[in-house]
Amino acid sequence: MHHRLACNKHHQKKTKKKKRIMAAARRLKRVIASQPGFLNLKSTSDPADLVSSRRKRVNKNKKKNWNKHSDINDVEEFLEDVRLQERTTGGLLSEKSDDSLFFLDIGQPKKTEETAEPVERKRKKKASRPLRIDLILQHDSLVPPPKDVLAYQQPNAKKIRRIAQKAEQLAAKGVVPRRQKQLLKRRPVAKTTKKAVTEANNNPDREYYDIWGLETKDSGDPWYLQQTGKKLVKRPERLNEKPSVLPAVEVIAPGGSYNPDIFSHQALLQEAHEVEVKKQKEEDKIERQLAVNKADTATEETIFREQVEGLVEEENEEETVHNEDEEDVAVGGIALGEKKTERQRKREKAVRIKEQQRLAERRQTGQRQQLFQLRSIKVSIRQQEQKTKAKQKQRKAKQEAQKAQPRRLGRLKFQAPDLEVQLSDELAGTLRRLKPEGSVAKDRFKSLQKRNLIEPRERAKFKRRYKLKYVEKRAFREIT
Amino acid sequence: MGGIQKKKFERGSATNYITRNKARKKLQLSLPDFRRLCILKGIYPHEPKHKKKVNKGSTAPRTFYLLKDIRFLLHEPIVGKFRDYKVFVRKLKKAYGKTEWSTVERLRENKPTYKLDHVIKERYPTFIDALRDIDDALCMCFLFSTFARTGKCHVQTIQLCRRLTVEWMNYVIASRALRKVFISIKGLYYQAEVMGQLVTWLVPYQFSHDHPTDVDYRVMATFTELYTTLLGFVNFRLYHSLNLLYPPKLDSKAVSELKEDNEDDYAMNSECYIEKLSALSASLARVVSTAEEEEAELDQFPVDGEDMEKMEAREKEQKWQEAQKKLFEGLKIFLNREVPRESLAFVIRCFGGNVSWDKSVCIGSTYEVTDETITHHIVDRPSIDKQYINRYYIQPQWVYDCVNAKILLPVEDYFLGVTLPPHLSPFVEEKDGDYIPPEKLKIMALQRGEKPAHEQEEDSEEEDEQSEDEEDEDDEEEVDEEEDAEEENLKKMEEQKSRGKSPQVKVTPGKVKVENPARLEQEEKAEEKRLAIMMMNKKEKYLYDKIMFGKKRKVREANKLAAKRKAYDNAEKAKKKKTRK
Repeated sequence: MHHRLACNKHHQKKTKKKKRIMAAARRLKRVIASQPGFLNLKSTSDPADLVSSRRKRVNKNKKKNWNKHSDINDVEEFLEDVRLQERTTGGLLSEKSDDSLFFLDIGQPKKTEETAEPVERKRKKKASRPLRIDLILQHDSLVPPPKDVLAYQQPNAKKIRRIAQKAEQLAAKGVVPRRQKQLLKRRPVAKTTKKAVTEANNNPDREYYDIWGLETKDSGDPWYLQQTGKKLVKRPERLNEKPSVLPAVEVIAPGGSYNPDIFSHQALLQEAHEVEVKKQKEEDKIERQLAVNKADTATEETIFREQVEGLVEEENEEETVHNEDEEDVAVGGIALGEKKTERQRKREKAVRIKEQQRLAERRQTGQRQQLFQLRSIKVSIRQQEQKTKAKQKQRKAKQEAQKAQPRRLGRLKFQAPDLEVQLSDELAGTLRRLKPEGSVAKDRFKSLQKRNLIEPRERAKFKRRYKLKYVEKRAFREIT
Repeated sequence: MGGIQKKKFERGSATNYITRNKARKKLQLSLPDFRRLCILKGIYPHEPKHKKKVNKGSTAPRTFYLLKDIRFLLHEPIVGKFRDYKVFVRKLKKAYGKTEWSTVERLRENKPTYKLDHVIKERYPTFIDALRDIDDALCMCFLFSTFARTGKCHVQTIQLCRRLTVEWMNYVIASRALRKVFISIKGLYYQAEVMGQLVTWLVPYQFSHDHPTDVDYRVMATFTELYTTLLGFVNFRLYHSLNLLYPPKLDSKAVSELKEDNEDDYAMNSECYIEKLSALSASLARVVSTAEEEEAELDQFPVDGEDMEKMEAREKEQKWQEAQKKLFEGLKIFLNREVPRESLAFVIRCFGGNVSWDKSVCIGSTYEVTDETITHHIVDRPSIDKQYINRYYIQPQWVYDCVNAKILLPVEDYFLGVTLPPHLSPFVEEKDGDYIPPEKLKIMALQRGEKPAHEQEEDSEEEDEQSEDEEDEDDEEEVDEEEDAEEENLKKMEEQKSRGKSPQVKVTPGKVKVENPARLEQEEKAEEKRLAIMMMNKKEKYLYDKIMFGKKRKVREANKLAAKRKAYDNAEKAKKKKTRK
């Protein structure tokens, strides 16, 4: 109820306003119409039409009737006309000067001037002409858009101005607001953590410092550092030894020059050749071992014999029987044994004792004799020592030689890379036409293997977990 | 025989070793992670002496590590990081699966990374230790910096390697440390002397992109990860030892010189500076700018007799070395566009030469082709259209050979279209008695300051040849002369050798020039030696004879090779003559 009331009131206000406008408009119309230069664009608003329609008697003491029955067509038409004029010409036509409305017609302009530069102008025109889409979107009314008042207004302007003034005063005094203070406090920490996190090891702009010049800062108790795992464990000395005596970069033989001396080149070729020959020999050997033996292949004879085996009686059965007899005899020999008599045993024992005595006596005499052989014993000892020394030396030399050799570090043996060689006709006379041989990447990789830094490996093979299953799609099956 | 029976494989070598798989399980790492860790920490597999004992009676081939090494690895903080990374990957996968992009982003931002600084410090306790192991690092970085950015490894790694190698080359230039260069069919070998250590490295040719499939790039990348860190720290230290700024900055003078208006054609602004650095054409800025380096003179101590001689010899040596360092000083060299620019620029700048190239080849050229003061123009094509009179047109091998010979070689052998003399390996060091190729002999003679007479004649003749038409007779004469001279040379050589070593020097008193004191002295020495030999006891004599026999055999072989070479040369010459006719 209340709401409707408010609505009503609003409506009334509106109507009042309208009336007021209408009155003003009428006045304006009258004024303008009375002026001599006014042109009516629409001639429909003739007062005669209004008069001709039948008049209806209506009470005008009620506001409702005002709205309903008063005729405002003429006013509206007039206003529409004014708006149209304003829209199209940017003002009332009556107020415009004559020069802006009319022009002097002096007939067709001469075409000769145009033809002098028609092509150029056309092109220019085309270039300068705006796009049709732009024309459509253009604001076509000449009435300027109303000023947006809100755009120039700032909410709470007064308050903001006051705050700014106060901040300025405080800044002049040197007081930092709390918010900013907090930000300042936070910033350095966040920055360092962020940087530490994001910088990768291979960042091309990474920074270096003097790592050997800096003394390690002993911050804190060593016991504490050790217990909390902050102290690095000392590296054992053993690990600083290199696993091979070979140099990191082995320079290619002089024959590997791009423009080599003949002899060094020949020497390198010879070396490469020997390697190849060795490889070939090994291959041949394997082939030979794998070759099928001619004797093992089936001939007609062997096939026939196989077929008749067991059908024909053999002649050598007798021999086997004979062998069996012999075996029986041997077994019987072991089983048979004669018992010794008492006497025999005593005699044997006496012999044994006598033999022992004899040996002991001999040993003693020998030892006594050795006194006189001292010199020769010494010689023999010295000889033995020399022999061991020589052997030691040999062993050591062998170990040294082994150090330069690649060790067996895993399933695979180290495979020496192929020697880089260019044949005489491949050699380029000049640097420009040189074709590089081999690959430095491979050379480095093999060098790492050769120096026992990594174990030789072969590329892991791709293993399928489940078997592939092929199914023809229906569409495909239909075609075939 | 009493007591409890000993169990097998519970003591001795069986307990000192651990198989790779067990070690992996102990560290709770996957195999790739374990491998990476071992490489980074410098722990390598070990071959036990008795495999069967270690392998608990089995003979299956396995990879073994020392148990103590693995125990040491347990303390490594990187292990924790590897585990973190594993978890990170798992979380990331999950987030992807659920298409939670904000989570993915957050995880990515907090990707776990690790540093290798402590590993470097631990593995190389002193700077010299690091310098001794720099060969590998350099090779690897140079190799990776030539890789195309196609996904074999991270682009960032490639960039870092490039940066580090450029820094290294700039250091070598600034310290004039380069000693040897060898152009092989595989790549370029360089050797430099840095702080008394000989450092050798191999640089692949620029466009030889051949990725062999049997190379494990993951392993290589891990090595590179370690080596980039190492090389960075070494570079830092080296730059500071020379009072250079690190990261390197170009000299302010050089910067203004290099300022060009078409810089934008080459690189983006951010990359421009590093490109200019890698052009190697400008010197670096120093912390304390010294206009001229004062030459430090050796401290002199009062010494007597033999030491004095040694001292003098050393001083001489040093002066000689100083002269070598300024080999190309004062030369103005221009590189034509077909020669390998980076290598040549590096070598020339290492010995103090000025170098430039065409503007369109690379950034950082300092002067144009038309510069009248250019002394050498390096060209690698059979002929060139427009030639200036006041400069030599030579082939690139001249530069390398000069560096190896340590003197400026005569340019005649390296002119355009001339068949080049062989490029000898500077890494071969002949002991006396070995066969030495004649080209090397020539260089050695030049080093000694001799200029063989026949050569001068040859030169003049060659000049004549250039001016006049060639004549066959003339040519023949030349050949004969050459042969004679060579024979003489060989004879002389042999004489020298035999004088030095063999006991049976045939010295007939009638032929000796008495007035020659050097000769007399030599004779005396030989006599002394003979007496000494006579005084030897049986055992020593045996040994001595053995040594001498070996030496003689060597000489004989060398002579044989020399004769062979001569025959070959003659044959070549004959062939040439035939073709000419």
